[in-house]
Amino acid sequence: MSKWQSAQLTSIVVLLAVFSLTTRVVIAQSSDVPRAFDGHPDLNGVWQAIGTAHWDIQDHPASAGPPDMGAIGAIPPGQGVVVGNVIPYRPEALEQKQQNFENRWTDDPELKCFMPGVPRATYLPYPFRIIQGDRKIMLVYGFAEANRTVHMDKDNPEPPPLDTWMGRSHGSWDGDTLVIDAVGFNGESWLDRAGNFASNGLHVVERYTPMGANVLMYEATIEDPNVFTEPWTMRMPLYRRLEENAQVLEYKCVEFTEDLLYGHLRREPTR
Amino acid sequence: MTLTRIGLAFVVAAVLSTGVGAADYHHVHLTTSNATEAIGWYTRYLDCEPLTDRDDGVECGGAQVVFDSRPTLGSSQRTGIDHISFSYADLTAKMAELEAVGVGGSGVRLQRFPDGSTLRDISGLFKVGFIFDPWGTRIELVEDDQTIGFHHIHLNASDPAATLAWYQESFGGESASLRNRIDGVRMGDIWLLAMPYEDGVPAATAGRAIDHIAFSVTDMDSAVSGLRSRDAEILEEPMVPSGGRTAARRAFIGGPDNVSLAVVEAGFAGVDAEIEAPVDITTELQPYTVPRTPWGTPDFQGVWTGDAAHGIPLQRPEDMTDLSSLTAEEAAARRERGTLGSIWGYESEWRDTTLGYVKSTPSRQVAMVIDPQDGRLPPMTAEAQARTANRVDTSGVRRIAEGPEDLSPWVRCITRSLVPTPGVYNNGMQIVQGPGHVALQREMIHETRVIPTDSSPHVGSDITSWLGDARGYWDGDTLVVEIRNFNGQVPYQGSSDNLTMTERYTRTGPDTLEYQFMLNDPTVWTRPWTGMFTFVRDETQYELVEYACHEGNYGMTNILSGARAREADEGR
Repeated sequence: MSKWQSAQLTSIVVLLAVFSLTTRVVIAQSSDVPRAFDGHPDLNGVWQAIGTAHWDIQDHPASAGPPDMGAIGAIPPGQGVVVGNVIPYRPEALEQKQQNFENRWTDDPELKCFMPGVPRATYLPYPFRIIQGDRKIMLVYGFAEANRTVHMDKDNPEPPPLDTWMGRSHGSWDGDTLVIDAVGFNGESWLDRAGNFASNGLHVVERYTPMGANVLMYEATIEDPNVFTEPWTMRMPLYRRLEENAQVLEYKCVEFTEDLLYGHLRREPTR
Repeated sequence: MTLTRIGLAFVVAAVLSTGVGAADYHHVHLTTSNATEAIGWYTRYLDCEPLTDRDDGVECGGAQVVFDSRPTLGSSQRTGIDHISFSYADLTAKMAELEAVGVGGSGVRLQRFPDGSTLRDISGLFKVGFIFDPWGTRIELVEDDQTIGFHHIHLNASDPAATLAWYQESFGGESASLRNRIDGVRMGDIWLLAMPYEDGVPAATAGRAIDHIAFSVTDMDSAVSGLRSRDAEILEEPMVPSGGRTAARRAFIGGPDNVSLAVVEAGFAGVDAEIEAPVDITTELQPYTVPRTPWGTPDFQGVWTGDAAHGIPLQRPEDMTDLSSLTAEEAAARRERGTLGSIWGYESEWRDTTLGYVKSTPSRQVAMVIDPQDGRLPPMTAEAQARTANRVDTSGVRRIAEGPEDLSPWVRCITRSLVPTPGVYNNGMQIVQGPGHVALQREMIHETRVIPTDSSPHVGSDITSWLGDARGYWDGDTLVVEIRNFNGQVPYQGSSDNLTMTERYTRTGPDTLEYQFMLNDPTVWTRPWTGMFTFVRDETQYELVEYACHEGNYGMTNILSGARAREADEGR
């Protein structure tokens, strides 16, 4: 590529960046953002999404849950977190999504205490902790022992050694925004309890932008040509858990799924 | 290729008359990690007899097997010499005897056939079965009534016919066919066989469990010049080796398919070899300054493994009361025993501690328990003793799992253990630090423990959990972690939910992290006790990859459905 072409491309990229900034929620850099030793925002702490994205990342009305669970199991109405509310599914993928929805009370990996994948781990109704060091950032989630190591120290992102539930994450700073590029997913995860999903071609770019000391604006751009016709984005705030001594507690949910998964294999079958 | 051969040598010394080559089958040289243990093993299980004129070999049914003491680089499988073979008059009885030995300690590892059987009657041939010695030599046991005793050496060959022809031309013997089914070269009563190797080129034998085969010649110089004229690679010119027990000379030759061959003169009786001491990780005595994180705490970040500590028993063995540490060879032998004697279905490539893969030097620590000083757990309380005495002895009873709860939390993929005792794989531990928190991620079974070091208080005592509630602080260069609120469902050595635990992590060198764990459970033990082992940093080849245990727990389904099938069979 010649220098001239390179310069032209750069200017196009800059223009696109400016354009996308104007269409985005205005995220002001705040002077009350706590700073880490290296001047980057200090994201250490316990964070949690508030809302109903774990039920359905799109707009949805209230609906019934499992009948025995009454109002505890019912699904509250919610405003979606998908920018524009439309997920650009390919036609056959949309059919799969609808099938997932029909079978959600048996097929959702969350039922089985399987690791939730990305970005679903972020907005499950559990807190997660960010441990931000100098070479790695670790995200430790309050569900299914899920965690991610974000490699901040790799100049050339390495290909994932194999597909996994939580993928492989490389991070960098874009101003005050932590940008995490995640690939290497196994395609088994769903995006919510409504059956939204992606394949093992999933590529997620997450942006964590501080909006003051206790709120992060979270954006995840989802790209998966197997499932979607174009990239799309979800966006929601993440709130710092301010309770005294707030912790992400050990929640080993495996034992609560054993009856579901193996009850038919008990000596006295329970299913 | 290194010629500092101190491998375990299986010396098959059979005096065989050969025609053309004027060569005799002298020995097969195997590598084990401890010659004395190997002599005991081959004597006990394969009916060999210790040599009377030297202390490093045995005589097995017409052939000598000599052992060198040094860590092996791995099994004989997939090298140019796949296995050696012994013939027994009653193989069914022999395999039953070996199966009864079991795999514990320096036991016998059976290589079962896919249907689970230990031997197979091959039509037109005879019965065959396979085992491994504790150091990785694959051994075929056969029932060939025409040749009892040492039976054959089986090569892996890219071109079996050409290989056999090469041996016959080089060393004599007669071309023959074993029961008119397998082409080979016969030297006296011993067969040299070759099977096609289709997975590229076999690995070099040097340093592996079967290190080399040796032939003796009456005229060394003409033998070597003859080999040279056939374009054989002369790896070591004829010479009296350093430490040689007699004035007989030895040469090393590169045979087909990376097989090492020795040629020796009459009277050759091996070498008193210096044992090459591996670097000892436990004796780094230079003053070491622990690096600091940018925010000022000791920096433990990186990927560490417990591979070096695999095989250390928790308690000091009764016969090692006066021992301060193992020798390097004993340590290598112990870890190799632990590796070979572990999970049967796992091939060597699955085992991080397999020789040839593992990088860390095995720990020479005698036992993990460092307090009490005798290396034994302290006496149990009267209450715990009474409970133990009242327990029904179920040892030796095959329990059939009625449901998942009858299996261990590890099999259930809930948690590995309170103490990450190193096993044959997944001993990795990644440490990531941020101001006020240390994350300890255990590879097995993808558990991450977050340790607050920010003076935050423990959570309320009603919040119990499998791994407890941990709080840490820095004591100089040491991270001290205090853990309480255990739910008691994953006991360690019989601990109860009254347990509190204190861990101490100290970086003792650039690549060593000492891990101490103190268990204090006044319900169970009359005093607290402490164990210790050392993690070794290994970032050159090690990265933690997500171990999705529960998500892929086919083992649970298989165990339970197997249990139900067994009950159905037994009409229960």
